Amino acid sequence: MPIVEARGLTKVFRRPDKGSGLGGAVKHLFARRYSDKVAVDHVDLSIEAGEAVAYVGPNGAGKSTTVKLLSGILVPTSGEVRINGLHPQRDRNTVAYQIGVLFGQRTQLWWDLPVSESLAVLRDIYGVDHATYRKRLARFDEVLELGEILPVIGRKLSLGQRMRADLAAALVHGPQVVYLDEPTIGLDLAVKDRVREFFRSLRDEGTTVMLTSHDLADIEGFCRRLVIIDQGRIIFDGDLEGVKDTFARERILHVETARPLPLEAVRAALPGAEINIEETPLRYAVRFDRFVMTAGQVVTVLATLTELVDFRVDEPSIEDVIRRVYSGDLVLPR
Amino acid sequence: MRLYLRLLGAHFRSMMEYETDFLILAAATVLMQVVNIVFLSALFAKVPVLNGWTFWSVLMMFGAVALAEGVGSLFFDGMWSLAWQINRGELDYFLVRPYPVALQVSSAALGINGLSNIVTGGLMIAAGLAHSAVDWTPWRVALAVLLLLSSVVIKVSINLATNAVCFWLNSPSPMFAFAMHQVGDLARFPLSIYPVALKAVLGVVLPFAFISFFPIAYLLDTGSSQWVGLLTPVAAVYCAAVAALIFRRGLRRYESAGN
Repeated sequence: MPIVEARGLTKVFRRPDKGSGLGGAVKHLFARRYSDKVAVDHVDLSIEAGEAVAYVGPNGAGKSTTVKLLSGILVPTSGEVRINGLHPQRDRNTVAYQIGVLFGQRTQLWWDLPVSESLAVLRDIYGVDHATYRKRLARFDEVLELGEILPVIGRKLSLGQRMRADLAAALVHGPQVVYLDEPTIGLDLAVKDRVREFFRSLRDEGTTVMLTSHDLADIEGFCRRLVIIDQGRIIFDGDLEGVKDTFARERILHVETARPLPLEAVRAALPGAEINIEETPLRYAVRFDRFVMTAGQVVTVLATLTELVDFRVDEPSIEDVIRRVYSGDLVLPR
Repeated sequence: MRLYLRLLGAHFRSMMEYETDFLILAAATVLMQVVNIVFLSALFAKVPVLNGWTFWSVLMMFGAVALAEGVGSLFFDGMWSLAWQINRGELDYFLVRPYPVALQVSSAALGINGLSNIVTGGLMIAAGLAHSAVDWTPWRVALAVLLLLSSVVIKVSINLATNAVCFWLNSPSPMFAFAMHQVGDLARFPLSIYPVALKAVLGVVLPFAFISFFPIAYLLDTGSSQWVGLLTPVAAVYCAAVAALIFRRGLRRYESAGN
């Protein structure tokens, strides 16, 4: 049985149509007009225990709304959610022990308390015993270096410190399912790396993780399953590697040579590859399909034709692929 | 209970950082009660008895209202920021914790001025009682405590219910609840002086009269329908249930806030 299951999940927000300025506001008092915005549109999703899922999409695609529906914060307009077979609103208390939620844009720490106190309050809310709590804290400290920020008052935390503390806060009760909504937003690279490492350790311990991000570097090397949402609809749900194999077959070999390349000879030796001359003299880019030839083969061919000074292989990131999906360039199979 | 005090206590520290604010607010609250008493004595200098109510018995009603308000702001002040919390999407994390959402809302602030209301209210009640001819038996003392507790529950429930209306109003400020709170000020005077419509409002729709008038009429044996005062605990249970229902219904409409 899937641990998280959504069927036909739909959320429609009703927004008042107010004209601009004061006039519009007054008019709205007398003639109320609303427009419906469909934020999440018939989403079906099922996540197995221990699975790590990336949930990506452009801004305003409905990522956060989905997370709020899956955690019982919002009541769906239609469709339903089950967490371990439980209804997130009707069984709110029971579900609360099983899920952990982090909204990167919002903290759950108490503004006026030191981090250690905030965490202790949460420990008491969840009724975590002291021994377990100490063990978890020690583990958070290992990866997140929590120790140094425990005495800091909530409002005095830097963004990176806050995010690390919030991660600990979301996991204090050892939830089975964790939703991470934009958990690396605004962080500098060093902190991002640390946080990403923490995600991996979570996954390796068997926690079910749903990671929402528009930083695709967060998901590479973290999860195998990729779900893409756009305008409230899921447009892809499948294997991350599969997407790369299907749509990121292309590799580019950048070479620097001692003497000019005999382009005709190269083209004859590497049918299917495309050779471009780059702006700097004696630099070339060879574009090829990695299922047709290997980078090794390309290098060998070039080395027989001229003397190579330097080379480097670029592979497209999943980011490029997804960007092309958003822009309608690529249509992924469902 | 212990956890609730802990949640409240989280705001105590910041409160203490603004010591002058606290002192000014406390002084203002006491001043307001003093003005009330001055007004009351001026009134009773002209009319010695108001529908069977003396200065001291009306003072007790003022005291009961102040006490209930004081408890409401000292322990449940967060309710008054519900509108703002809804508007800002602050309930998100409350909704994923295994603790009643209403209590997380009400513990989100600590109204330290409630303390001076509790003290002045308590003093007013004590002064009123000292001038009354109540025959104190243990049973009557217990009943008085129960009535007082019920009156506090009613005030807090009305606060919750009227603030929860914000789930429908989408307003970022507690205007509706504040307006209703003002209506509650009418309950400082004997209900019997008001026209029928107002009696119905204060006795049934927004039962502010159960905070002060009915229980005190029963305790002091004043007025014509003292037995109604015995219904105060029933009114308290009813108010709490209705408030909880409105809040739960409202929570289903909660829309969080966009990022």
